[in-house]
Amino acid sequence: MNVDFNTAAIVAIACWATGMLLSLLAIRTPALKLPGMVFSFAGSLVMAGFIAYYWVLLDRPPLRTLGETRLWYAALIPLVGFLVEYRWKIGWLKYYCMALAVFFLGINMLHPEVFDKTLMPALQSPWFIPHVVVYLVGYVLLAASSVTALHNVYLQLRSKGNVSGESVSHYLALLGFVLLSFGLIFGAMWAKEAWGHYWTWDPKETWAFLSWLAYLGYLHASRYKIDQGKLQWYLALAFLVLLVCWFGVNYLPSAQNSVHTYTQS
Amino acid sequence: MVVVRRRWFQTPWEFRESALFTAVALCLGFIIEYATSGAGIALPRLPFNAIALSVFAVLVLSIGLGFRNTPAVKWFGGIPLGLCLIFGIAVLSLVGGILPQEAVRSGSLPARLGIHKIFSGWPFALVVLLFLANLGLSLSWKLIPFKVQNLQFILFHAGFWIALSCAIFGSADLQRLVVPIEEGKASNLGYTMESDTPQPLPFSVFLHDFSLEEYPPQLLLYDPHSDKLLMDKSKTTLEVRKGTTASWNGIEVLVLDYMPSALPGEGGIPQPADRSTGIPYAKVRISTGATQREAWISTGSPKLRPDAAQLGNLYLIMVPGTPKSFRSAVTVQDTQGHAVMANLEVNKPVNFKGWKLYQMGYDEKAGRWSKLSLIEVIRDPWLPAVYLGFFMIMAGNILFFWTGIKRKEVAA
Repeated sequence: MNVDFNTAAIVAIACWATGMLLSLLAIRTPALKLPGMVFSFAGSLVMAGFIAYYWVLLDRPPLRTLGETRLWYAALIPLVGFLVEYRWKIGWLKYYCMALAVFFLGINMLHPEVFDKTLMPALQSPWFIPHVVVYLVGYVLLAASSVTALHNVYLQLRSKGNVSGESVSHYLALLGFVLLSFGLIFGAMWAKEAWGHYWTWDPKETWAFLSWLAYLGYLHASRYKIDQGKLQWYLALAFLVLLVCWFGVNYLPSAQNSVHTYTQS
Repeated sequence: MVVVRRRWFQTPWEFRESALFTAVALCLGFIIEYATSGAGIALPRLPFNAIALSVFAVLVLSIGLGFRNTPAVKWFGGIPLGLCLIFGIAVLSLVGGILPQEAVRSGSLPARLGIHKIFSGWPFALVVLLFLANLGLSLSWKLIPFKVQNLQFILFHAGFWIALSCAIFGSADLQRLVVPIEEGKASNLGYTMESDTPQPLPFSVFLHDFSLEEYPPQLLLYDPHSDKLLMDKSKTTLEVRKGTTASWNGIEVLVLDYMPSALPGEGGIPQPADRSTGIPYAKVRISTGATQREAWISTGSPKLRPDAAQLGNLYLIMVPGTPKSFRSAVTVQDTQGHAVMANLEVNKPVNFKGWKLYQMGYDEKAGRWSKLSLIEVIRDPWLPAVYLGFFMIMAGNILFFWTGIKRKEVAA
């Protein structure tokens, strides 16, 4: 099983690396643009295929452990980069996205998980997949938003104006916020069915609420007359709250009683 | 360009005044909490909380509509104060998200400030109440006069207002009780988390049968000296079935035969048995270097000793799988004689006369032989209002998503 993951990961990383290289070369040699796209896309396809294979093998959606969620991020984040390039003709985001995907796969290769097929009764629910998938896509968009904002901050520091970049980070944050709201509410409704109450201030819930508030704050600040340039700092850093929510909660003193801690390998 | 710096409290008020206001509200909350020795707030129950909430809502709406051009009211319903109050709620949530929310020694400073039950204390209540006022004012201005283009704003903000206010004002009416029942018996007594004194329920629950299904057992190597369980090389949780192989340093194990339910038989060979009494048995071939042997191992049960295979200082053991599902077959009956038969399962609660019944737990020491089932019964009369709020937020969000996309089309 480990061997399979490593093979898939290495093939995906090789595809992305080739794709990035070809895309960079394509700036000089336009003919390389298409092969670059094909290779970049193939990397995500390999990961998607592995997830599907893994799903069948485990007999349950591979969404239970942190390592399993990283597989999904690795497959999906580059796609956001390609989508942004396709939609807004902004090419640099995909490099960050692919690098991030390689980073996630790298973590999984260095820390192989204990593979466990069991799924505790509370997770056996029709809410499981929508709740986690909505959050996953939301996090992916917000990660891309944060990376875009970081890039905008870098351009600002070099005193380059960048209005289109700011609108990309804004819309990604907006879409991410919509998905966070859905994830939060789906989670609440699932909790009502599984644990009896929709909100119990479980540490994970509290942090999900905090990350939601962070982006709620951003949307209002951006709506009010606050300089969009300054808000790039905010967007770049807001993702840190999401990171705490995603896996930092496991290490907080409040986590002892949480129902949400991911299975530790 | 000349930058004119606003002085404090120069109209129109903005962030500085809002931040100060929020900070004062937070401090006031902590002072009240300290003065009342961290007792928190005891909210009134139905119908008084519903009356209080209605009065509050009417008050906010009429102030919003009656004084919509008064600078102080405009500020109170504006984004700067809203943002500062959101920040205030975030700070309190941060405390609640980092520190364990549990009982601490009473009399200590953290206990008096209520930081270990932050979400039921005065600072949180005050800030949320002010936030509801802020949100309500801004909502009143978008509600009247009504415009279709404000629909997204109204759905999201009104939904949030309803969900938040009803969740908080209604929390006093939430009843959660645990009913322990043994097979073949009925009970109408529930226990709260706080007290050992049972409370009578308006219905009784009879437990016909409790059953638990497990995942297949697992093979592990046990080291009694360090009291550790060693996982095999592949780091895979090994489900025992015919043909399963496992390896540890120098030890190879092959499962030759597997019986999910059996009892000890003559000559040490187990015989298949009924699921209600039998336990899993596996015949394994253990190879260490040149030597090879076969043995029967089992998980054991409360009545049967587990069989392990000794390998020098280590033991090859089979541990029962984790619970896959557990359910209680019950009959619920109220005092008028209305009765319902149901299967309670995790994630599959059953409704009965405004109550929801949940499969909560069982005697974990007895595992699948448990004769005891823990049923949680919950009543939350405010739930429909909170869910209405949730659906409005989601509807607003779909519109938000849609207009966001549309505006992108314009921008592009």
